[in-house]
Parts: sequence; C-alpha cells; structure tokens
Amino acid sequence: MARVPHILKLLSGPEDIGRSWWFWAVFIAACVFMLVYPRWLSEFQATNIAYYLLNVPIALGLGLLWGYSGVLSFGQVAYFGIAGYTYGIVAGNMVGDDFGPIVGSLCGIALCAVVAAIFGYFVFYGRVQNWIVPILTLVLTLLLETFLGQTAGYQWCVGSVQLGGYNGMTGIPGFQLGSHVLMGYDFYYYVLISVLVIYLGLRLLVNSRHGKVLLAIREDPIRTELLGYDIRARQLVAFVLAAVLAGISGLFYVQWGNYITPSQVGLLQASLPVVWVAVGGRESLLAVLMSTVALNWLNYTLSSEGYQYALIITGALLVVVMLFFPSGIVIALARELPKCGLFGRRKGHAA
Amino acid sequence: MDSFATIVSVIYQFATNGAFLLLSAVGLIVILGMMNIINLAHGVLMMMGAYTASIAWHRNVPFWLCVILAFIVVGIFGAVLERAIVRRFYGRELGALVVTWGISLILSQGALAVFGPFLPAIPIPGGSVAVGQYSFSVYWLSIIALCGVLIAGLWALYNHTTIGLQARAAMQNAAMAKALGVNTDRIYMLTFSLGAGLAGLSGALFAPTVSIAPFMGQQFVAPAFITVVVGGAANVITGAIGSSVLLSLVKTPIGFVFGAFVGTVALLFAALIIIRLMPDGISAVLQRHIDRRNRFA
Amino acid sequence: MSEPILRTEGLGKRFDGVVAASDVSITIPRGELRCIIGPNGAGKSTLFSLLCGIYRPDAGRVFLKGEDVTRLPAFRRVRRGLGLTFQTNRAFHRLSVRQNLSAVLQIARADRPTDAEERYRFALERFGLDPDSEMPAKELPHHQLQWLEIAMVLAAGPDIVLLDEPTAGMSTDETLQTGAVLKRLNAGGLTIVVVEHDVAFVRDVAQRITVVHQGQVFAEGSVAEITEHADVRRIYLGKA
Repeated sequence: MARVPHILKLLSGPEDIGRSWWFWAVFIAACVFMLVYPRWLSEFQATNIAYYLLNVPIALGLGLLWGYSGVLSFGQVAYFGIAGYTYGIVAGNMVGDDFGPIVGSLCGIALCAVVAAIFGYFVFYGRVQNWIVPILTLVLTLLLETFLGQTAGYQWCVGSVQLGGYNGMTGIPGFQLGSHVLMGYDFYYYVLISVLVIYLGLRLLVNSRHGKVLLAIREDPIRTELLGYDIRARQLVAFVLAAVLAGISGLFYVQWGNYITPSQVGLLQASLPVVWVAVGGRESLLAVLMSTVALNWLNYTLSSEGYQYALIITGALLVVVMLFFPSGIVIALARELPKCGLFGRRKGHAA
Repeated sequence: MDSFATIVSVIYQFATNGAFLLLSAVGLIVILGMMNIINLAHGVLMMMGAYTASIAWHRNVPFWLCVILAFIVVGIFGAVLERAIVRRFYGRELGALVVTWGISLILSQGALAVFGPFLPAIPIPGGSVAVGQYSFSVYWLSIIALCGVLIAGLWALYNHTTIGLQARAAMQNAAMAKALGVNTDRIYMLTFSLGAGLAGLSGALFAPTVSIAPFMGQQFVAPAFITVVVGGAANVITGAIGSSVLLSLVKTPIGFVFGAFVGTVALLFAALIIIRLMPDGISAVLQRHIDRRNRFA
Repeated sequence: MSEPILRTEGLGKRFDGVVAASDVSITIPRGELRCIIGPNGAGKSTLFSLLCGIYRPDAGRVFLKGEDVTRLPAFRRVRRGLGLTFQTNRAFHRLSVRQNLSAVLQIARADRPTDAEERYRFALERFGLDPDSEMPAKELPHHQLQWLEIAMVLAAGPDIVLLDEPTAGMSTDETLQTGAVLKRLNAGGLTIVVVEHDVAFVRDVAQRITVVHQGQVFAEGSVAEITEHADVRRIYLGKA
C-alpha cells in the first residue's frame, strides 16, 4: 500500500513541468473533459482529434530520447512505418480471425524493438560521436522509404497482402476488441486512454531512478560511466523504448486510416517529430505532448490551404525555434508563468 | 583481350562508384573536419548547384563554366548561411543539425514553389569510348580525373597555403589558434563556404546524370552521410579518400550482383559494422599511422 | 595485514612510440592516504587513467582488492569499489545540486548495500554545501564544485578513491579545508590516492608519496624521506 503514495510522489517529481495541486486539478479536469467531449462531436470530428493524439507517442519517445537521454534520432518514423506495415501484413493475412489485430500489433512492436536493438547495438556499443546517431537514423528511414517505394509489382506481397509500392498498402484492418472493431467514438477512446497511460507511465519513468540516470547520461556520459553505470546498455534501452513508442503511433495510424504509404517514412514525415519536440521543448514530456497536439491541429486546419507550403512552414518553424526558443516554446512559457502557480514552483513537491 | 577489357570494366565500376561517393561527401567532410558540424542542408546545396548549372547551360554558357559558376554561387550562399545562422550553433552540434535540416526543408520546397517541379535537363557531355565489348562514358572518366584534381587541390590548399595552415591550426585547437592571431571566425566562414561550394560543384557535375528537381539532393544524401560517418573528422583528405575507397569496395560487387539500391543498403550495413570497429572513422585510424610515421621520420 | 586494496604489476603503456608508463609497480595498503607526484609530463595522468580503467595497459596488471581487473572497463571497476574524480571538474554543471544527488542515488554495488543519500549528505555537510539546493552546479564557486564532485563519488561508498589534482585552482584556505576533510575520511577507513602538484597539500595529508618521472616510479617513501631526497629535488629542478 505504501507503493501508492510513492507512485504519486514520482508522478509529481521534478523532471517534468507541472507539479502543483493546481496543475493536477487542471490536468484531471482536462482529462474528464476529453472523455466527455465526444457527446458534442460528430464521429468524424472525434476521429480527427484521435489523429492528433495518435502522434503523441512517437513524439514522447523522441522527447525521452533527445530531451532526457541526449540522443537525437532523425529516423523515428522508420519505426512508425515498420510497425504500420507489419501490422498491415499480419492482420491483413489474419482477416476473419478476431486475434488478428492483436497479433499484428504485437508483431509490429516486436519488429520495431528488434530493429532498434540491432541498430542501437552497433551505435551505442561502438561509443560513436553524438552526431552519428541522427545521421544514420535518417539514412535508415530514407532507405526504407526507397525500398518500400519500389514494391509496386504483384510479386511484392506477403501472404495475401500487397505492399503496394508508392501507392502504399490499403485495406488494413482496424483494431478489434474481441469481435468488435474500434471505429469512430470507440477509436477515439482507445487512443485517448492509451496516450494518457503512456504519458503517465513515461512521467513515472523519468522521475524514477532509471530516469535520473538517463538525465545524468545526457549531461555527461563519461562522468555517469565513472559513477559505475553501463551507459551503453541504458542508452540502448532508451533507444528501443523510443522505437516502440514510435511503432505504437504507427499502429494507431494504420488502425485509424486503414492504409499506409512509403511517404510516411520519408523526409517530411521524419522532420515532424523533431519539430513537435523542438517547438514544445524536449526537456519536458508535458511540453512535447501539448505541442504535438497543437501542431497537428494547426496542420489540419491549415491543410486546406494546400500541401505546398507544409515543408516551408515546418522548416521555418524549426529554424525560428532553434534560434530564438532553443529550449522550446512551451517550456519558455512555463518559465515565465510561475506567478499563476499553475506550473508549480521549483522547490514544490520534489521527489 | 577479353579479360583485359573485363578488368578495365571492373576498375571503371569501382572508380565511378568511388568518385560518386567522394563527390557526394567532400563538401560535408570539409565542414565536419573544421567545425564538427554536419551540414544537413548539403543535399539542398547540391540541388542549388545543379540548378545554377542548368540555368546557365540553357543560356548557352559552356558546361565547364557552368560548373565553376555553380561552385561560386553556392559558395557565396554558403557564406551567407554561415554568417546568418550556422555560426550561432558552434559547440551545439545537435542544434546545428536540426537548424540546417530546417533550412533544407525551406529551400527545397522553396525551389519547388519558385521553379516548379523540374528544370530542363542537361545532356551528358562527351561521348563514350569502347574497350573490348564494354563502352565507357567519357564524362564519367573526366569526373574520375576531376576527383583526383580536387583532392590534389584540397591537399595543396591545406598543406601549402597560409590559409590552409591557419585552418589546420583552428581544427586542432581553436582557442590556441585564436591566441596566435588566427581569425577563426573568418576561417569558419571560409570553410563553410568552401564546403557549400564543393556541394554546389558536385551538384553541377551530377546534374547531367539525373533529373533536375527540387528533391534531387535526397539521392545523394544517404551515400554522402554514410561516407562521412565512415570517414570521420580527423583528417579531411584521408577521410574522404579512405572512406570512398572502402565503401566503393563494398558497393561495387554488391551493386553489380544485386542492383544499385541493394548496394546502397549494403553501405549502411557496412557503415554500422565499421563504426563498431573504428568509432572515429577511417581518418582517425589513418591519422594515427601518419603520426606514428612522422614521429620516426 | 590483509591484501592491499590496489596493486599494480609492471604496468606499461605506449602511445604511438612515446612511452607514457613503463614497469610501474605500486602497492597501496588498505587505509592509506597516498600521494602521487612528479614533474609535468611525468606520466601521472597516464598512471591515473590506467588505474581507473580509462586506458588498457600494454603490459602489466592491475589488482583491485585482490581481483585482477586489468581487462575490466572503468565502470565495472567503479562498481567494485573504486571512486574517481578528474582534473577538469565533471560534476553535472547544468543540473542543480539536488539533481546531482539524485543521479548518484541508484548506484548498485556488487558487494555492499548503499545508503548513498546519507553518505552524500554527510560529505556535503562536511564541505558546507546544501544538499537540497536547486542552484545549478555551475554557479557554485570553483572549490565548492570540486567538493560537490568528491561528494558525489563518496556517495557510492567506495573503498578507495582516486583524486586527480583536486585542489587545482583552490586558494590556500580551501586547500587546507579539502585536506582536512580528506584526512577525516581517511581516518574513517577510506583509502585515498591523490595525484597532486601542490606540495604544501601533499606535505599536509600524505602518509606515503610515490614520485613518478618519465613514466616510471622514481622514488617512494614517507613525506620525510621524499622531501630529503636529493634526486627528487633535482627532477623538480629546484621546486619545493
């Protein structure tokens, strides 16, 4: 029973913004609101909001990796795609089987973990310089895109599922609980609750001892190593976790839209998580969550203007944020609003 | 006679692959070696070089002059970029990566918006030369020769000019160099400019072999990055040569049997293995040998 | 007397033809406060790195508490009871004092349970620092930053600490204070090895001195023996 207060203490630990009673009250109110909101929404609107939310896990994973562990990956979307395509293949071949989606999801996540583990092994156990990880992860996702793009012919199929080349894979089954397919409002709740659980779980992680060690690795890997930690193993674990989170976003995506194309692992898509994390502020999970939802919403509302300027705006946002708000806009705001008491004082409920 | 032609053909394949990698990466390596920054706008700079060449060529400028023009134009642009944005990120390598990536996004879609989806192509200059049953492109032969000239030029620049000496000092120990009166700010700007110019030069040289489009840089970015990762930052010349040679040894046979794309994938695998064994790249390993020889000279 | 806590046999290390260490054999008994001195370029830093595990020796072996740790990387030696601080301060500068504490909390030692937080606080209070301070470490004055790093290392409850020039940049008073704390810790049973330049400090704290010159152990003895040693004076070219 003593675990419960301990967990609560961890949740309110110092490694994320938002710690005061005020904050938690607002947070819970927001959650309740989100749970009740669909009453006033059409199914279409609900699934749109689900679309903004489904991108949160990949962003949180990158935030954990970059902001809390000091490892920058430009290729998180590769795992988004790996999980999505794998789910499409497995669940697509198991149509009619109620366990298809679950097996497909597990396969997707497992493959992400394996690829990340192998990739990460070479990178972290080689103790390479910092700039190598973003470069090689970017190369991985670009090569993946090229590969998937040339799978157009009929020979490119696994079981009964076509890979589809540049047009992508279609007819991907949605997620099922038992024999009930999750669509519309159900899908909204599925994503919302999953994202909340993931966020709170990560918040627990970064405040835990394991999280503190990751922070130390970010700050000074050599010093951390010489305090007795195996930093290669810990960075590898963080990398695999981030990959799994990216894969979860990928799963949500194909379960939402029932299709996936190679462009999901291409250059523009690859830049998006970096933008969301940089704009929000990589050193706070909450900031990343907020900016991801906000920027996705913004993108959707502006997309009626035409796709042509998406890259320019994304790029400009990156440049401006890196130049003027290097720690992130949400974090900068959080620092300027201590008077509200909304985001807790520094010496508040320290762990 | 037949086997002679086959040998020539194999050497040719190897040399063209190596030249491709070298040209794709040399601009990146120059900047990395000096400032420890990866310029993610590299692909876009190559595109700008190709665009410059295309525009000039279609105004009847002779091709060789187009290439030089590309070098100059993109070089100047690089200097501007360095002054305006990149210099604020020295010491923050990851930040530099992110910001140059943002710049590349702006410029590539900007090029699409301003110039449209394609620019008119440049036909490959020169014809072909036959040896046995194989024919070899004169153009690629000149590119291979040009790589040699380029390396020689860079070597002369770094080892036989004052600026080169100052640059090497700044690479070794910037604070010391500054204390000795080297204007490191200027060296950084010139280095970035040179790196950009080389990217533009490569872009112009590759322009006749690809379609000239806003995202054309992407096909060079993956091989270029891999070459840079394998080469490392210890020494520009040895890194560039060592890496392109080694990677070409991987790509040529695999590409020959399985096709170009698999060849590129093999490069990624090779890079992962190589960095596991030589985390600081080939240039670091070669540099140790050079230092050892110098010590006993 | 039991097994010496740290022992080396014939350590050697070359860097591309330069001999940085040659046939270095030192023995450090439990509970000793040893100082390693020598002129610049003598090989003190190399020796330090060899003891830590940052460098692998080309020849020779290192024994920690009787166990051959020559093949072990640094972090595994730390887990076996070795503590290290560096010439350049490596506390976590951007993190607060309290966060520096949090980072060391999870040290798991193979052979001893930890009460890291208590030990950390104890060490900090000895040095006069506030363990709950949210001030970023880099805003501490230099000597307190050094003490912070020492405290972090002590939090793991090591059996032996290696300190590389801990008093570099400190004033005479601060150096004295550092010396006092080290002597107190040593009296409590902690083995301490200090690589140092500051001769006054060495005279104040050392029980035994090892002099290193040109990569080799040049002389070894008590404070009195070494300060009287004519050859030691010579290699320092009139210093001390």
